[in-house]
Order: sequence, then C-alpha cells, then structure tokens
Amino acid sequence: MDMIESILLVDDENLFHLVFEDACSLLDITLNLMAIDNADAAENHFATIVRENKPKPDCIFVDLNIIGSSFDGIELCRRINFVHGDGVVIGIISSSDDEQEQAKAVKAGAQFWIIKSDEIEPRLEEFVKDFDGYKARTAPFKVYR
Amino acid sequence: MIVLNDEIKKELIKLAAEKNIFLEGNITKLISPESDKTFRDYISQCVARDKENRRKRLDITKTIQQQNKELTEWKSHNEQLNKDLQSALEASEKAKQLAENDLDVLQKRTQYELVGSIVKVALWVICGVGTITSILFAITLLTDIENKTVESSWSNMFSILLTNSFSIVGTIMGVKYASDKKGRGRCKCDD
Repeated sequence: MDMIESILLVDDENLFHLVFEDACSLLDITLNLMAIDNADAAENHFATIVRENKPKPDCIFVDLNIIGSSFDGIELCRRINFVHGDGVVIGIISSSDDEQEQAKAVKAGAQFWIIKSDEIEPRLEEFVKDFDGYKARTAPFKVYR
Repeated sequence: MIVLNDEIKKELIKLAAEKNIFLEGNITKLISPESDKTFRDYISQCVARDKENRRKRLDITKTIQQQNKELTEWKSHNEQLNKDLQSALEASEKAKQLAENDLDVLQKRTQYELVGSIVKVALWVICGVGTITSILFAITLLTDIENKTVESSWSNMFSILLTNSFSIVGTIMGVKYASDKKGRGRCKCDD
C-alpha cells in the first residue's frame, strides 16, 4: 500500500501531535506530516498554499474543538472545502462521537470521522485502506470507532 | 530514494559499530540499501531501532496524555466539590443567622412579656390601693369620722398616681408596640 504523500493535522493538543506523528511513522502512513495547533493559523496556511500555488496536503485531519481558535473544526472543513478550493481529503479526528456534529461535518465537506482514543493505530490503519476511495471521492462518509 | 556512495556507507557503518550511533527518523525509509548486504543490514537495524524508539515514545506520550486527561477530570471534579462546599458553607451561615435571629426574638419576647406582666400587676396594685383608699375616704366623709389620716393618704396616693401616670402609660405603650412588632415579623423586632 502506498503512503499518503503529505498530511496536515490541525489539533490544539500538542501531545496528540506526537502521538499522531509516531503512529504515522510506525504504520508507514506518511513521511510528510505537518501539525498546526490553531484553526485560524491552519486556514491562513491553506490560503497561502492556494494563493502561491504550492502543493496542497493530500489529507487533512481536523480536531473538532480547537481551543484558542476563533472557529471550530467543522467550520475549518467548510472553509477549506468551499472557500479555498476543494480536492483535498479532509475529515475530523475527535474524541466526540456526537451524531449531530457528524451530520454537520458531512455538510461541511468532511469525508471521515476518526474517534480519538488510546488505541488510534487500528483506526488509522483502517483509514489508510479507504484513503484511495476518499481521494477518488467514491467512498462514503465513514466513522472509525 | 536516496543513494549513498560507498564511502559514506562505510562511515555510517563504522559510526554504528564504534559509537553506537545510528541514523534515525523517516530519513531511514528514504535511503536505498541497493544490493549491498552489509548496508542493507545496517539500514534494517536503523529502521528497527527507530521503530522501537518511536514505539517507546508513543507509549510514554499516551501515558502522559492519559494522566493529563485524568488530572483535568480531577481538577474539574475538585472545582465542583469546592463549589458544593462553598454552597453548603453559605447555607449553614444563613441557617446560623436565622437561628441567632430566632433566639434574639425569643429573648426579646420573653423580656417584653415579663415587663407586660410587671406593669399589669403594678396597675392592679395601684388601682386596688387607690380604690380602697377612695372607699375609706368616702366612708369617713359619710360617717363624719375623723378623717385627717385618710384624707392625707388619699391625697398622697392620687398625687403619686398622677406623677407616675405618664411613666406607666409610656411603659404600657412600649409593651403594646413590642407586641405589635412580634406579630408583623421576627427580624423587625430588632428595629
């Protein structure tokens, strides 16, 4: 299975950045991971990429509640999808399993929802198997529990 | 993939053998081992060591993450307990205040009742003495008996009654005022 070219993680919890980075490395998910802890900074980063025509990340993982930001993860999904251009696989990674929030995320253009917990690796492995479907926009919205 | 020349490969293998220093991180996945078996073993060792280190770090990070989560929950729980304790303390303070007010009201009521009783008894005594003296004085007048002693007693009694009447009326009014306040509310007794 091919690795994902590049991943952007947006999560306010810096410890989770380390967990995610190590899990991605151990599972050979990607070699190019960038982590941002603020939704505003992530939006600016993505806007800059689009404006300067730089390569977009292949996949974006967004936390639901990003403390210290002026908007939440669902709003960030919406802006990346509908304001700064689509074509990027984007989804939510959160400890919440709220169905209402998941419905909002779908409307905002999220393609997946990964439940964040102690054992994140099996979910990431499962996600990587479905990644091609997300990239081709053929896979339906899925919650990884 | 990155292809290293033989000299660099030898240096890296020597560094690992002599100083136990290995390449680490994702770069190990980008270096091509080619057909060189020694270097392939070296790269495999680097990758294995890197994975082991990452696994250790991942476990530690997860433990810290879990501890942080528990600490946050405990903090929130403690804050709730503190709030509950504060509320209980405030409630007990209010109850204490009410009890003190009730005790104060009770003490004042007892005092007023005692004063009222004393005034009533005093009035009965004064009225009784006044009436008896008046009757005696009337008898002496009607029977034409020597009445100097009774006359002076009657005169003294009524002058005392007149002198003290304002004081007595004042005391009665005070008792009446206190009794009215009791009926209207406990705390207003302090006014």
